[in-house]
Amino acid sequence: MKLEALPWIILFLPLAAAGIITLFTLQNRQWSARLSVGAVVTGFLLSVVFVFVAGWEPRVREVSVNWLTIGEGLRVDFGLHFDPLSLLMLLVVTGVAGVIHIYSVGYMRDDPGYSRFFASLSLFTFSMLGIVLANNFIQLFIFWELVGVSSYLLIGFWYGRTAAADAAKKAFITNRLGDFGFLLGILTVWGALGSLNFSELQEKLASDPSALGALATVAGLLVFCGAVGKSAQFPLHVWLPDAMEGPTPVSALIHAATMVAAGVYMLCRILFVLNAPALEVISYTGGFTALLAALIAIQQDDIKRILAYSTLSQLGYMVMAVGLGGPTPAMFHLTTHAFFKALLFLGAGSVIVVAHHEQDIWKMGALRTKMPVTFWTFMAGTLALAGLWPFSGFFSKDSILEQALLRHHYLLFAIGLFVAMLTVFYMFRLIFVVFFGSAKSGHAAHAHESPGVMVWPLRILAVFALVGGVIGIQGVYAMQFGGEGAGQAAGVAARLIGPWREAPGAAVCGLAAFVAGLGAAYALYAGADKDPLPEKLGAVSMAMRNRFYFDELYKVTVIRLHDGLAAVAAWIDRWIIAGLCVRGIHGTTELLGRALRLLQTGNVQTYAFLFAAGVALVLYFVLGK
Amino acid sequence: MTALTYIFVLPLLAAVALAFVPRAYSVVMRGVAVGVTFVMMLLAILVFIRFNGAEADASGFKFVTTIPGLGASSLGIVCKLGVDGINVGLVLMGAIVAFAAACCSREIRDREKEFYILLLVMTGGILGAFASLNLFFFYFLHELALVPTFLMIGVWGRGERKNYATFQITLYLSIGALVALVGLIALYLQSGAQTFDIPELTERLRENPLSAGAQRFIFPLLLFGFGILVSLWPFHTWAPMGYASAPTPAAMLHAGVLKKFGLYGLIRIALPLMPGAAQRWMPILAWLCLGNLVYCGWVAMRQKDFNWLIGYSSVAHMGFVFLGIATLTLVGVTGAVVVMVAHGFLAALTFGLSGYLYEQTGTLEMSELGGLLRKLPFIGAALVMAAFAGCGVPGFANFAGEVTVFFGAWNVFRPVTVLACWGALMIGAVYMLRAVRTMLHGELPEKWANVTDAPHLWRKAPFILLLAALMLFGCFPRLLTDKISPSAGVIVQMANPVLEGNLRAEAAPAPPKSALAQGGGEAVQ
Repeated sequence: MKLEALPWIILFLPLAAAGIITLFTLQNRQWSARLSVGAVVTGFLLSVVFVFVAGWEPRVREVSVNWLTIGEGLRVDFGLHFDPLSLLMLLVVTGVAGVIHIYSVGYMRDDPGYSRFFASLSLFTFSMLGIVLANNFIQLFIFWELVGVSSYLLIGFWYGRTAAADAAKKAFITNRLGDFGFLLGILTVWGALGSLNFSELQEKLASDPSALGALATVAGLLVFCGAVGKSAQFPLHVWLPDAMEGPTPVSALIHAATMVAAGVYMLCRILFVLNAPALEVISYTGGFTALLAALIAIQQDDIKRILAYSTLSQLGYMVMAVGLGGPTPAMFHLTTHAFFKALLFLGAGSVIVVAHHEQDIWKMGALRTKMPVTFWTFMAGTLALAGLWPFSGFFSKDSILEQALLRHHYLLFAIGLFVAMLTVFYMFRLIFVVFFGSAKSGHAAHAHESPGVMVWPLRILAVFALVGGVIGIQGVYAMQFGGEGAGQAAGVAARLIGPWREAPGAAVCGLAAFVAGLGAAYALYAGADKDPLPEKLGAVSMAMRNRFYFDELYKVTVIRLHDGLAAVAAWIDRWIIAGLCVRGIHGTTELLGRALRLLQTGNVQTYAFLFAAGVALVLYFVLGK
Repeated sequence: MTALTYIFVLPLLAAVALAFVPRAYSVVMRGVAVGVTFVMMLLAILVFIRFNGAEADASGFKFVTTIPGLGASSLGIVCKLGVDGINVGLVLMGAIVAFAAACCSREIRDREKEFYILLLVMTGGILGAFASLNLFFFYFLHELALVPTFLMIGVWGRGERKNYATFQITLYLSIGALVALVGLIALYLQSGAQTFDIPELTERLRENPLSAGAQRFIFPLLLFGFGILVSLWPFHTWAPMGYASAPTPAAMLHAGVLKKFGLYGLIRIALPLMPGAAQRWMPILAWLCLGNLVYCGWVAMRQKDFNWLIGYSSVAHMGFVFLGIATLTLVGVTGAVVVMVAHGFLAALTFGLSGYLYEQTGTLEMSELGGLLRKLPFIGAALVMAAFAGCGVPGFANFAGEVTVFFGAWNVFRPVTVLACWGALMIGAVYMLRAVRTMLHGELPEKWANVTDAPHLWRKAPFILLLAALMLFGCFPRLLTDKISPSAGVIVQMANPVLEGNLRAEAAPAPPKSALAQGGGEAVQ
């Protein structure tokens, strides 16, 4: 068997699992779970084998089959692209997804839709792997859409609940808005360059940077629209917090480690299309999203929503990094974030289960002693997210801040630093309220640790949240994009002190932000029974709680406008086209018929008269002239 | 005698045979209808599979056969059947949909004899029309299929507005067909070829094109005559009302199969035979297609009845085909044919499913329904898949067709393509997902506590079949496009006089300069 067959198997295993579950094992819960978990874990192991044997830069860079060819004009392949970016992402996706699959076996055990859940999960994994391995724009778009569909199925998994059903619809349609731009971007690039394959496009643009002509910036920004939708950047960020209505493992998988990361991954994959003005817009979009989401996060009370806004904020960081011309820091942060955010979501799930599906942090409390494993792993995730040395988040966040300094974007650097402080603040607010203080409800008082199938995934992820920064992830990405860490053959020790030595400014500022955020959170929330901030901040807190009214704003503008146009169209259709025109013609015909009927009197004299008059008329026209 | 002969003749013979069966034997009626359509489907699949290897005649048609005795050969009216890449997919789609419609005919409880006879006539007629290579039979067989539609809506239709709907659809479509007929007769007379044979006519007009004046008055007749049959905006209001009142099998067959006749006519007759006029009209058609895609999409968003919604949605989908045709490019026309096939399966699927829902609940008023996915896991899941196929999700054939149309149109009509993408990605998603949300998701009202899912394989079979077809061509679009694009290439080449002129210039050793200039001048006209 050729080595290149492995990635095909990795890609299609989850699809096969989804298909078999849907067709045959819907009634058999155990087999459904086995198939689904087996597919993704096997995928992970095969990925490891592939990378081990072929290396990060395999000799064969692409394998493809033809999917659609029409004349000379259009050729779309279905192919796989191997480079450090796709291979490391392959490992991350199968790895994190594998852990989450295992966790789900425990988390979903009492749900009647168990098999359906695993089928959707496998379909999702397949779609995500398709994005990672895609070698051309249309294939990327296809899997992009499939991720949208499978996330719709997963977010709306409990479709009987109004909120879940609405959230699923909202997520899909908001994503579609981004995809609209994405498709136009793809068409623009294809129209100008005549190819869809990434490698070919890159070569064309490398040999002639002005090949896209006047449309270069537009094309870049249109493609970026896709990322704005999928990675939930401002102004399309509204779907992600609502999407927390899905089961918690879904939140962990989709909204932390994979789907939302797809936008950032896509930007790194098509970086060659983006020119300087486009990158400028991208970096500010990212920075603004990071700030906006962090501000909203500090006044949320739902444990999953806090994490959701945190995700938004971190995605803002990554997008900002891409915009700053630093794909390596962006992908580095994406990877570490995948570890610790999945960990945090799964930890939150563990808390939610013992709290009997209560998600309000003000009804928890004092869980530290009752759920030690959950607590300590959650703590590890928090410290990684907060960016404390030597946790993984420190290194990746530091590399982004460093990138901002390197490009002399001091405003974005300041935003990044401020957001880092806010991150520490809202995460420790959560920690103090949920795990410390006194138990604020009966369920919290009688809590106990979750079963092994749920805590072992937490342990595994916690290890990666701790060491993810120093195991050379950055170096792999740097192989592809160059930049810092490219030549780093150094060991763990050198990586540990790297940031302090190379850019002490960023590292020290980052640490200062950590201390400031922790201090503020301790002062306000240690032992608090209710949130003191609404009193102190007043209207500002209200605005944060209501997510700065973006949903309301969209409801009265975009949605009402579109519905209004639809109403006008429906009115025209009913009254003008179907009414006035169609009925009008039919009415006129009928009227004419009624009028003509009057002539049919049945009176022979009348007929004779009309006949004679007619003859006279004809004679006049024929002879008279 | 080829498989095509049987596909055309079998249902008509069966219809005649059923006339002699006593009406008490309703099981026999249903059995014969299902059985005959099943055989037709197998034959059509066989034709489709063997298409690549089959021998082509001089004009590129395969499986060419004439049915002796039918028609009047002294007048040039011969029942000649054959397929090329354009219609082989349509024959396959039509046969599969016919089988699905026959399976879904269980809801008919009275006058079953007449119903199944009409169903078989309709099926044989439309498949004959698609396969016919003779202008007379092309038109006549479509009319043969059209009349049963009117009767079915009138007799077995539902709802209070049934009579008005029948009245409107009958008049509207008859006018459309009549306008097209005037156009076809004019074409026959103007060509001076004295033949109804389509390949011969095409060949003749390739050599001696129609005068610009003749094209100028014939082309709009065909465009709008066929356009009315396909619900081209603004001639679309018959469709949602007609489908909402039609019994399920009639809606499946008409929206899925019969409606494609007008489009097929445009591609087969109007474009290649009147290239000059086509060039002039296509930009207008491109803008009209937005009336379907965007405007009818918006109207669909406002519908309260699910059948009206999918009726408008099926009108909206025709916009992709019009856009693809309007590009007059190989990619665009190929995409248009793919959408025609895909939409046939999809329309049949959605109307079949809505028919099932109606049978269970007695209403399709969306505000009355809710939470049905819990009670109807199979039907509900199929409906969700149909909704996704309808809003152009990859994996279903519609996506392959639509994206191809966009690629074809991008360099020709850019602003139109942008708006068409909006219609495809946004408007379609909004109304489809809203419908899924209101009907299938959310709380289950008390009164629907005893609706039941499709009980056994026989009830599920038509839906599984249609979904499988959608997904097969969605995942492997080359199964279709490799067959379509060579034939589409021939048509596109004829429809673009500029290309044609160049080709002629290349073929002829040393064309006099004046001739070239003239060719160019024609193209500009």
